[in-house]
Amino acid sequence: MINQWILAAFACLLGTSSLLADEIAQTRCVVDDKRRQICLDRPAQRIATLSPGATELMFAAGGGDQVVAVVAYSDYPLEAQQRESLGSHTRLDIEKLFALQPDLVIAWVTGNPAEQMERLEALGLNVFYLEPRRFADVSSTLLRLAHLAGSDDVGQQVAQAFEEGINSLQQRYQNASPVRVFYQVWNDPIMSVNHEHLIHQVIELCGGENVFADLPRMIPRLDTESILSANPEAILAGGMGEENQAWLDHWQQYPHLKATADQNLYFIPPSLIQRPTPRLLQGAERFCQALDEARAKRQ
Amino acid sequence: MPNVSKLPVGSSIHTQYLIPLLSLALLSALALLFSVTQGSSGLPLREVINVLIGQGDPLQRTLILDLRLPRTLSAFATGGLLAVAGALMQILLRNPLADPYILGLSGGAAVGALGAMLLGLGALLVSGSAFLGALLATLLVFGLAHGSGSWTPSRLLLTGVVVASGWGAIITLMLALSPPQRLPGMLYWLMGDLSYAQTPWPALILLICICAVLTPFGRSLNVLARGPLQAAALGVAVKPLEAAIFFLASLLTAIAVTTAGSIGFIGLIVPHMLRLVLGNDQRLILPASALAGGTLLTIADTFARTLIAPEQLPVGVLTALLGVPMFLYLLHRTR
Amino acid sequence: MANLELKAMAIDVPGRAQGDTLSFCMEAGQIWGVLGPNGAGKTTFLQTLAGLRAPRAGHIHLNQRPLHTYKRRAIAQQLGLVFQERHDDFPATVMETALMGRHPFLSPWQMESADDIELTLEALVALDIDHLADRLVSTLSGGERQRVSIATLMTQNPAIWLADEPTNHLDLHHQVATLELMAQQAAQGKTLVMCLHDLNLAARWCTHILLLYPNGQACWGDVASMLQPSALETLFNQRLQTAWIDGKPFFIPAR
Repeated sequence: MINQWILAAFACLLGTSSLLADEIAQTRCVVDDKRRQICLDRPAQRIATLSPGATELMFAAGGGDQVVAVVAYSDYPLEAQQRESLGSHTRLDIEKLFALQPDLVIAWVTGNPAEQMERLEALGLNVFYLEPRRFADVSSTLLRLAHLAGSDDVGQQVAQAFEEGINSLQQRYQNASPVRVFYQVWNDPIMSVNHEHLIHQVIELCGGENVFADLPRMIPRLDTESILSANPEAILAGGMGEENQAWLDHWQQYPHLKATADQNLYFIPPSLIQRPTPRLLQGAERFCQALDEARAKRQ
Repeated sequence: MPNVSKLPVGSSIHTQYLIPLLSLALLSALALLFSVTQGSSGLPLREVINVLIGQGDPLQRTLILDLRLPRTLSAFATGGLLAVAGALMQILLRNPLADPYILGLSGGAAVGALGAMLLGLGALLVSGSAFLGALLATLLVFGLAHGSGSWTPSRLLLTGVVVASGWGAIITLMLALSPPQRLPGMLYWLMGDLSYAQTPWPALILLICICAVLTPFGRSLNVLARGPLQAAALGVAVKPLEAAIFFLASLLTAIAVTTAGSIGFIGLIVPHMLRLVLGNDQRLILPASALAGGTLLTIADTFARTLIAPEQLPVGVLTALLGVPMFLYLLHRTR
Repeated sequence: MANLELKAMAIDVPGRAQGDTLSFCMEAGQIWGVLGPNGAGKTTFLQTLAGLRAPRAGHIHLNQRPLHTYKRRAIAQQLGLVFQERHDDFPATVMETALMGRHPFLSPWQMESADDIELTLEALVALDIDHLADRLVSTLSGGERQRVSIATLMTQNPAIWLADEPTNHLDLHHQVATLELMAQQAAQGKTLVMCLHDLNLAARWCTHILLLYPNGQACWGDVASMLQPSALETLFNQRLQTAWIDGKPFFIPAR
């Protein structure tokens, strides 16, 4: 997977060989998640990241110093909060963004409003779209962002560490006995994930079995009854903020629910698992630990 | 002798029409200038004027001419279209409380737009789909109300209101079924938002054409406001005129909704407010609605994009916050 | 000068079998009174004459040409109508309302001229409402609004005047003044057709009478021959006593 992106970048380098030699050395091209090719004449100097996840990925890929603008809730790393804010990722302050004259904009295919992104492209800005759906997408995105920002070394290190971490979890749990898991994305209405979602892959990675994997919508909305009848062995939930466990308390009122009976109600900080960034590894580790605890309670 | 100073006689025709229209035109120009000079990137007024007279550096030119000006003009045109459409619907339904959306047109447009967003289509297709939805809603209501041949305002109104609730249900269903990451865009569309505006020209040209086309019909509309029989007795061909108003008002609303989502309130309040001050001569009310509606939406949109920048507010919130006190003040004063 | 001729015309009253057909000509200088109980079709008859409803059978000719071949604007230049019902949903002053009578004579781009204003003012003076010119119609009393409607017709100044209960809401003096105005118009060569409830006003001012019965029967003729107590008693299903003053009959309902 990673090699494929590097090959693409290399092919692009070859394609521009008619340019002057020093320009070739500087020109960098990557293919984004909309399968468009983005080329920069030199490493990006002024980067705008249009989602909290994009911000985190760009900082992790070593391009943090060049980030000039972020959107609301870009809270990691702390340094990102000192950058100019462009408002909510659902409705950007286009004028402010354009006035900052970024030479690279990192956008989120399904998160940013299409009409605003069209406007940015029409104004001639370089937009790189990302939409990570699998673990491999996280590492390939890190490599591509690092290449655009001119920090390939950092990118390769971080991507490799992430891949190795995920691989070791996979080896460790590939034969673990399955645990039926309900992952709760939201409380009111109750929402979960189906098999298309990255969190589903975390569940599988840890030897879990997502009870709502086969629902047709990626983020299905559910009622309490469907959770009771699915009767998962463990419930894992995020919450409003990093330490709020109130959503889990809701399940205490159903003592016959297997997860409640075994006290397999686990809190996973949402920013560790809901963002497709290197920190997902930490989230996955905590997730796997929780399922291990659930297995341990079986005797 | 009665006091005839207010009557439209001789040269006073010009004062009766021209003074309000010129004042509103001046107000519109100020609102447009205000809107173009305000923005989150904080260019000083002098630089803005430099750009407007053809100078300034390329960045400033892009900011003013490619970002602010099209949006400002779109806001003005949309506000004008909605206010004129509202004034027309009120005459058509003989009900001063009618608004451009009363016949369910915005519902059809919303179903079209949200459907396109649900499929993840781009801005142009969202607009096109909204326009088709509006057209479908119009034909549906007109066809249903026309069905048995009798075509009265109350039948039209009832059909429109019921069809509108049907659209409302479909919209709610779409919102409930849509993926969470698409919800914010849909909600912004439903509350009205000028970031959807692609280019101001279709709306602006339509607004100018419509004012020119409607002015000669103004007196017929005045007569129609007195009821269809009275209008027919005074020589108005009522049915063709009503059908024309219905389709014009629908077209204006469809273009407005297509440009900026469903912005409420302007179509109802602006013509009503002007009638309180200027009387009910459509030759004055229609162009005045265009100017006043445009001004109100221009100012509201300026606040929407600058008030808590970089956060952007839906413009519908601002039109209501600005319009409600203005309307209540006028109502109180004229009582 | 204009005339309105009915040729075997039947009024189309919804839900009623077709009644007698009407065949007569209403000439310049005549004042026709249309009498009949509630629901006999008086209003429908007037609206049919104005071309606002189609007759169930037969034809109406305006100046020897079928009415339905005229454009609405051409009809409105010849023929005007005072309605019983009025729509005052939108604000309009007395002056603006009466000025609408000039609508059929102005092209779309034309503004009302000083002459139009002059005509309107004359109408307001004639109806004794000139002092109300700047008032909103919605603030007026019922009788004042009725006079605004008649002033609008007078501003329109057509050759044929149709009036549906023109004396409704009017006080005694204004009833007389209004009918006197109608008589003057007839004397100047206008054709007048009025629906009336008051037999005595009809007896006093009309030259011709059309009686419309609830079952669709109709009869017509000059005032002297039509206002027969027996016919009127059948028409209204009410016994009447008759008195004679100045050689004209007066009808008083008997207890």
